[in-house]
Amino acid sequence: MTDTAVNTKAKPAPKSARPGTVALLLNNSLATGGLIVLAVICLIALATPLLPLPDPDATAPADRLLPVFSEGHLLGTDHLGRDLLSRLLWGTRVSLAVGVSATLIAAFFGSLFGLVAGYAGGRTDTVIMRGIDMVMAFPYILLALAIVAVLGPGLLNALYAIALVNIPFFARNIRGITYGLARREFVDAARLSGKSPVQILFIEILPNVLPVIVITMSTTVGWMILETAGLSFLGLGAQPPQADLGSMLGEGRKILFTAPHVSIIPGLMIFALVMSINLFGDGVRDVLDPRLRAGSLSRPVARTAVARGGSDIPPPSATPGVLDLRGLRTEFRIGGSVYKAVGGVDLHVRQGECLGVVGESGSGKSVTAMSVMGLVPTPPGRIAGGAAYLEGEDLFAASDGRIRHLRGGSVAYVFQDPLSTLHPLFTVGDQLKEAIRAHQPLSNAQLKEKALELLSLVRIPNPKERLSAYPHELSGGMRQRVCIAMALANDAKLLIADEPTTALDVTVQAQVLTLMNGLRRERNAAILFITHDFGVVSALCDRVAVMYAGRIVETGTTREILENPQHPYTAKLIECVPVLGEPERRLDAIEGRPPVVNNLPDGCAFADRCPRVRPDCRSGELELKLSSPERGVRCLYPLGEGGTA
Amino acid sequence: MKKFLAAAFASAFIAFSPTVQAQTPPNVLVVGQIAEPKSLDPQAVTAVNDFRILMNIYDGLVRYKDGTLEVEPALAKSWTISDDGKTYTFKLRERVTFHDGTPFNAEAVKFDFERMLDEEHPYHDTGPFPLAFFFSQVDSVTADDDYTVTFQLKAPYAPFLSNLAYPTGLIVSPEAVKKYGKDFGRNPSGTGAYKFGGWTANEKVVVTRNEDYWDGAPDLEAVIFRPITDANTRIAEMLSGGLDIMVEVPPDSLQQFKSDPVFNVQEQAGPHVWFLILNAKEAPFDNKLARQAANYAIHKKALVENVLQGTADVAAGPTPPAFAWAYDESLQPYPYDPAKAKALLKEAGYNGEEITFYVTQGGSGMLDPVAMGTAIQADLEAVGMKVKIETYEWNTFLGKVNPGLEGKAAMAEMAWMTNDPDTLPFLALRTGAFPDKGGFNSGYYSNPKVDELLEKARQVTDQGERAKLYKQMQQIVHDDAPWVFVANWKQNAVTKASVENFKLQPSFFLMLQHVKKPM
Amino acid sequence: MAAIPVLFGLTVIVFLIMAMIPGDPATAILGSYATPENVAKLNQQLGLDKSLFQQYLIWIGNLFHGDLGRSYTLNRPVLDEVLERFSATLILAGTSLVLCSIFGLLAGIVSAVRQYGWADKIITFLVLIGISTPSFWLGLLLILAFAVKLRLFPASGMFAIYGGGDLPDLLHHLALPALTLSVVATGVIARLTRTAMLEVLRQDYIRTARAKGLSERKVIYKHAFKAALVSVVPVIGIQAGFVIGGAVYIETVFQWPGIGSMLVTAISTRDLLLVQGGVLVVAAAYVLFNLVADVVQTMLDPRLR
Repeated sequence: MTDTAVNTKAKPAPKSARPGTVALLLNNSLATGGLIVLAVICLIALATPLLPLPDPDATAPADRLLPVFSEGHLLGTDHLGRDLLSRLLWGTRVSLAVGVSATLIAAFFGSLFGLVAGYAGGRTDTVIMRGIDMVMAFPYILLALAIVAVLGPGLLNALYAIALVNIPFFARNIRGITYGLARREFVDAARLSGKSPVQILFIEILPNVLPVIVITMSTTVGWMILETAGLSFLGLGAQPPQADLGSMLGEGRKILFTAPHVSIIPGLMIFALVMSINLFGDGVRDVLDPRLRAGSLSRPVARTAVARGGSDIPPPSATPGVLDLRGLRTEFRIGGSVYKAVGGVDLHVRQGECLGVVGESGSGKSVTAMSVMGLVPTPPGRIAGGAAYLEGEDLFAASDGRIRHLRGGSVAYVFQDPLSTLHPLFTVGDQLKEAIRAHQPLSNAQLKEKALELLSLVRIPNPKERLSAYPHELSGGMRQRVCIAMALANDAKLLIADEPTTALDVTVQAQVLTLMNGLRRERNAAILFITHDFGVVSALCDRVAVMYAGRIVETGTTREILENPQHPYTAKLIECVPVLGEPERRLDAIEGRPPVVNNLPDGCAFADRCPRVRPDCRSGELELKLSSPERGVRCLYPLGEGGTA
Repeated sequence: MKKFLAAAFASAFIAFSPTVQAQTPPNVLVVGQIAEPKSLDPQAVTAVNDFRILMNIYDGLVRYKDGTLEVEPALAKSWTISDDGKTYTFKLRERVTFHDGTPFNAEAVKFDFERMLDEEHPYHDTGPFPLAFFFSQVDSVTADDDYTVTFQLKAPYAPFLSNLAYPTGLIVSPEAVKKYGKDFGRNPSGTGAYKFGGWTANEKVVVTRNEDYWDGAPDLEAVIFRPITDANTRIAEMLSGGLDIMVEVPPDSLQQFKSDPVFNVQEQAGPHVWFLILNAKEAPFDNKLARQAANYAIHKKALVENVLQGTADVAAGPTPPAFAWAYDESLQPYPYDPAKAKALLKEAGYNGEEITFYVTQGGSGMLDPVAMGTAIQADLEAVGMKVKIETYEWNTFLGKVNPGLEGKAAMAEMAWMTNDPDTLPFLALRTGAFPDKGGFNSGYYSNPKVDELLEKARQVTDQGERAKLYKQMQQIVHDDAPWVFVANWKQNAVTKASVENFKLQPSFFLMLQHVKKPM
Repeated sequence: MAAIPVLFGLTVIVFLIMAMIPGDPATAILGSYATPENVAKLNQQLGLDKSLFQQYLIWIGNLFHGDLGRSYTLNRPVLDEVLERFSATLILAGTSLVLCSIFGLLAGIVSAVRQYGWADKIITFLVLIGISTPSFWLGLLLILAFAVKLRLFPASGMFAIYGGGDLPDLLHHLALPALTLSVVATGVIARLTRTAMLEVLRQDYIRTARAKGLSERKVIYKHAFKAALVSVVPVIGIQAGFVIGGAVYIETVFQWPGIGSMLVTAISTRDLLLVQGGVLVVAAAYVLFNLVADVVQTMLDPRLR
C-alpha cells in the first residue's frame, strides 16, 4: 500500500466527503436503469388486481391464438383463447412472489447452516459441510425434480425444491466469513464476557455477515426466478389454470413454430424481470461491498495520468542532478473530494548521492516516489502539476514507451514489503530473468548467468538453488535481497527505495542497508530513500528532506538535520529513534494525527500538533525558508541550535 | 493463447461448414418416434410407440386386414374354432424362417406362448411380460405336428383372435431367445418384412430389408426409427428435413404441415376414446343427474375443433366408432347445454363444493391433456362447479388413478386405445373390474345389466350376436354417464411428399412393408 | 478422501427419495394396464417386493463387483446405459466448459482491463443478458432460427442419422446445444474473472512488474492473469456441476442422448437403479471435476503445494 491519507478517517465537517449509499447507487446508470424497470414491473404486478383486465383464466377456444394487437387483446391470446396480457401480469406476480420467497427461505436456512458451521467448527462443521457437498454434487435440476416428484407438483412444492437446492450457496458463502470472524478478537472478548454462543452468533457475528447475505440474495433472486420458471416449464410448478411465467412459456413452447408470440412474450418478461433484478443486484453489491465502495477495486492503468492542466510547467532547477523534482503535485480523486497527497514538492538527487525522504505514514513521501515513474495508481491518482526531470528529460511529458524503457532501466525501484512485491506464482529466477530481458536482449543461458551473478552480488547463499525457489520459500531478508538484485539488473542511474527495510527485523535491516550503501559506492548510482525512521537515515543518507502533509517542511544534510533540527516536527521524529543504552528516551509516537489531505487547514499543517503553535501559524501560506541552497525549513518560529525550544 | 484461439476458431469453422445436410437418402425411410423403445421383445413391451417398430420386424399368427380391425391370416394360413369356442387350431405357413435362419414351426409358437405364460418355463425369466394377461384364458398350447398348433382355452373368449393380432402375440425366434436370454430385447429376431440392423441408444433403431420375406420383400432398403421425445424438436426435425415420417403431430403444427406442399398429412380414426372418469362413489357424482350435468356442461365441440384443431371427433359413448360392427350409430353425443347442466346440478343438490380433478401432463393417447383439462375446468366453473386441478406426470398419475379415485378426486382424465370392443368396457365399466378386484373401474360404476351384457358378449363367437349385446351396453352406459365422453382421436402422420404408399391403420400400428421412397 | 462419504451418502439419499416418490416402476412399465394386481405381480418379478434396506444392501454388494444392476424399464445393464449416456453428456458439457472458460476468461480480462470503458460496459451488459436468459428458451429460439429457418445446423441429435458419424459431423451437431449450455456459465466466469483481475491488478507485485519496465501485455496476460486464474479455477470446477445440471434442459430440447435426459426419464419411470447409477456417475464426475480444478490450482500456485 502506498501510504496516502486516503484511508484515514475524515475529520468532521468536510462537505460530503463520501457519497451516501443511495447516491452511490443512483450514480451507477445501469443499476438505476435496472431499478426503474424492476420498480415498474413490481408496481404493475402489485396493481394487477386493480387494472381493468379480463379474467386470466377465462377460456374462449374460438378466439385462440389471436396475434399481438388484436382487438380487446393487446398481446393476443393463448391456445385456449385466454388473454395473454392479463395472464402475463398475473403470472409476473406469481413468479416474483415465488422467486423472492424461495430466496428468503434459502437465505434463512443457508445462512443458519453457514453461521453454525463456521462458528462451531470441528465436527459440526464437517458434518454440515459434507451434507452441503452432497446437495451440490447432486445435479440441481434433478434434485428439484425428485423433490417435486416426492411432494407432488404445485407452486409451493416447486418453491421448496428451489429453496432447498439453493441453500448450499448461502451456507458456503456465510460459513467462510463466519469462520474468519469467529476467530477474531472481538468474538473472544464477547466469549470471555460470558455471552452464550447463541448470543455471540446473533449479536456479534450476524451484523457483520448481514451485508454478505444481502449481496448473495441480490445476486441469486434472478437465478431463483429462472429456476422456478424452469420447473414450471417442465410442468412441475404452477398448476393450471394458474399462470406463472414459466408455465406460460412451457405451454407456449408447444406452439413455438405456429404462434411464437405465446412463448416469446413470457420469455421476454422473464428476461426483463431477471435482467433488471441482476442489474439492480449488481448495483447493490457495488454499494455494499466495502472494497468496491472505497473505489479500491478500480483497475490502475499502466501509468499515472498526467493532468497538469493550465498550470505552468516549471523549468529544471539550476543545480540539476540525476533527478530533479519541481513543484510536484499529485492528487487522488475519490467520490467528490480531492486528496492532495503531494502538494508541491521540490527535490533533487545527484549522482552517487543518497537522499532520504522522511515522514510519518500519510505524509506523501511514497506518493512522491511513485509519481516519478508514474506508478501511482490511476484511478484515483493523477499528477496535477509540476515536473520530474531525469537528467533534464521531462518524465511527465515522455511517451509511454519511453517510460517503459526507463522503468527498470535507468530508474529502478525497491519496495517495502518483499513478500507482496514479488509475484508469488513465479520463481525468483524467472522474475529476475524477466527484469533483465525487458532491457537486454540476452540468450537464455546468458540470462541465467546474469541472474546468478546478481544473486551473488546481493550475497545470497547458494544462488543456483535459489533461482528455482518461489518467493514464499525464502526468508524476508532474502526476499528483499532478491528485490534489490532485480533493481540492480540493468545498471540503474537512480534507485528509488520505498521503505525497503521497514518489514525486516533489525539485524537483517542492517545487512540490507550495508548492502545498499556498498552498491551505491561501487556503482555510483543515485538513491532516493523513503523512510519514516531517522535511525535508518543516519546510516545511509547524505541529505534529508522531511515531509509533512504532502510538503517538504525541512531539508538539509543528514548531519545538519540530526544535530540541529529546525522544524518541531523533525525534532519529534528524531526523538522517536531508539538509542542503545538510553531506555528512558521517549519512544511514543507523536501525539495526534496528521491532517487529512482533502481538507488541509490554512497556514501550517502541523499547527494542531505543534507544542509551540502561535495564532499566526494558522493563516497564510508558509514558504520554505532557505538558509543555504541545501538547507531550508517551513516554519515561522523554527527551533534554535540543539533542537530545544 | 494465440494458438489456442486459432484452434478454437478452426473448430468453430468446421462446425459451421454445412456437411451432409439433414436430407435423408433415397430408399431409406427415417421415422420420428416419440420415445426410445423400451425393448424390441414384443412380449415385454406395452407402448404403442414400441409397437410401431415391432410390427415391422415380427409377424403374428394373424394380423389386421389393411385399413380395418378385422383379422386375416398371417403366419397361420387358416384356423378352425371348436363349437364350444374353447379350442383354436391353426395351420401354419411352411418354409418361413426367422431372421437368424432358424425355421418357423409349431414348436416355435408353443415355445413363445409358454415362455410368456408358464412361470416354470426355463426362459420365463427373460421377461417380465406385462401384457401376458391378454392370453390369460389360454390353458395349453400343443404342437400337433410341424405346422399345426392348437390353443386350448379355459373358457370361451371371443377377443382371442384379435388379441393374437396384437403385438403381444407376435412370434419371436426361440433360438434367439435362448442365445441372448435377457438381452433378446436388444437383439430381436422375427419373421417380419425388416430385419433388425442395429440400435444406438437414444439415437436410432435401424431395420433393413428382409430379402426373403414370405409376403414379398419391401422396396425400402432400410427404415431408421429416431426417438425424439420433445414434440417441438420433432417438428423442428421434420421441418428441417431430418425426418421422412412423423406421427402424433400436435394439432397446431398439423395445420402448418397441411398448408405446405412439401408435406403430406394423413389422418385415420382409430379405436380410441378420451374421457373423464367420474367418481360415482362420492358426492357430487354419486348422483346420475350430476354426471349427466357434467356431460352437458362441457363444450366438447369447442374442445375438438379449437383445442385439438379438428384432430379428433366428439365421442358419443364408451365404444369408439372405429369398431364399426359393434358401434351403435344411433347414439348421439350429449349436446352443449350449460343451462340444462345448471338445472341438473341444482336438482342433484350440488352447492358449489370444491372438487378435485386429476389431470395428467402427458401419456399414451392423452392428446393435449393439460390444455383440455384447463378448458374443461373453465366450462365446469361456468356452470357453477368449483374445480381444482392437480396435474401429475403420467406414471404418478396412473399410480393415483388406477387404484381408484375414492377419497382423492371427483374426476380424472383417461384415454384408451384398444384392439377389441370388449377390452375397455370389460376392464373399466364392470362391477367385477373395481380396482380392488384387479380392474380399471376407478370411478366405481356399477350396473348389473351392463355386467351381464359384457360377460355374455365374451362367450358368443358370432359377431352379429356380439354386436347386439355391445350396442345395448352402449345405450345404458350413455344414459348412466359414468364418464364424460369427450373425444375420439384421429391418428395423424406427416410424410414428406416423396414418400409413397404410406397408409395409417385404424390399429394405430405403423405398417411399412409397402412404403416406397424412390427419392 | 472426503469425496467417498459424500458419494455414499448420496446413494442413500437417492434410495430414500426414490422410495418416497409415489408410483413404482411396475406402474410405469404396465402403463394403462397397471392394476394393483398386475403391479404386485410385476414388482415381485422385479424383486421390488423386498424391503428397501435389503434392496440397498444388494445394490451396494453388487457395486463392489462393478455391477450397477439392471434397468427395469430399459431391460439392460445400468452400467452400459449410464456409460453410453454419460460419454454423450461429457462431450456436450466438456465442450461447453471449454467454451465458457475461453469466452468467460477473455471477456473478464477485457472487461477488467477496459474497466468503465465501452468494451467493459458492453461486455457487462452482454454477460447480464446471458445470465438472465432462460437457457431452455434460448435453445428453442436458436433451433427456430438456425435449424428451421436458416437450416445451418441440425435441430437435434448428436450425429447425422445417415452417413456422418465423424468429427465434423459431431461438431456440427454440437454447435447449438454447446453454445446454449455455455451461455450462463460464460457469464458467471466472466464476472468472476473481472473481479479477480481487478483485485490482482492492484497488488504490489503488479506494480513491481510495471516498475521492471514490462510491457502492459506481459503485465496483464502473464502476471495478472496467472494470479487471477488461481481464484477462477475452482469456480470453473463448480460451474462444471451447473453445466451438467443445466444439461438436463438442453439435452431435452436438443434431443442429445445424454445422461441428463436419461435421468429425467428414469425418475418419471421410477427406474430406481438407473437413477442410482446415473446420479452416482454424475456426482462422481462433479467430484472429479473439482478435484481436477484443485490440482490445476495447485499447479498454478506453488504456495498450495
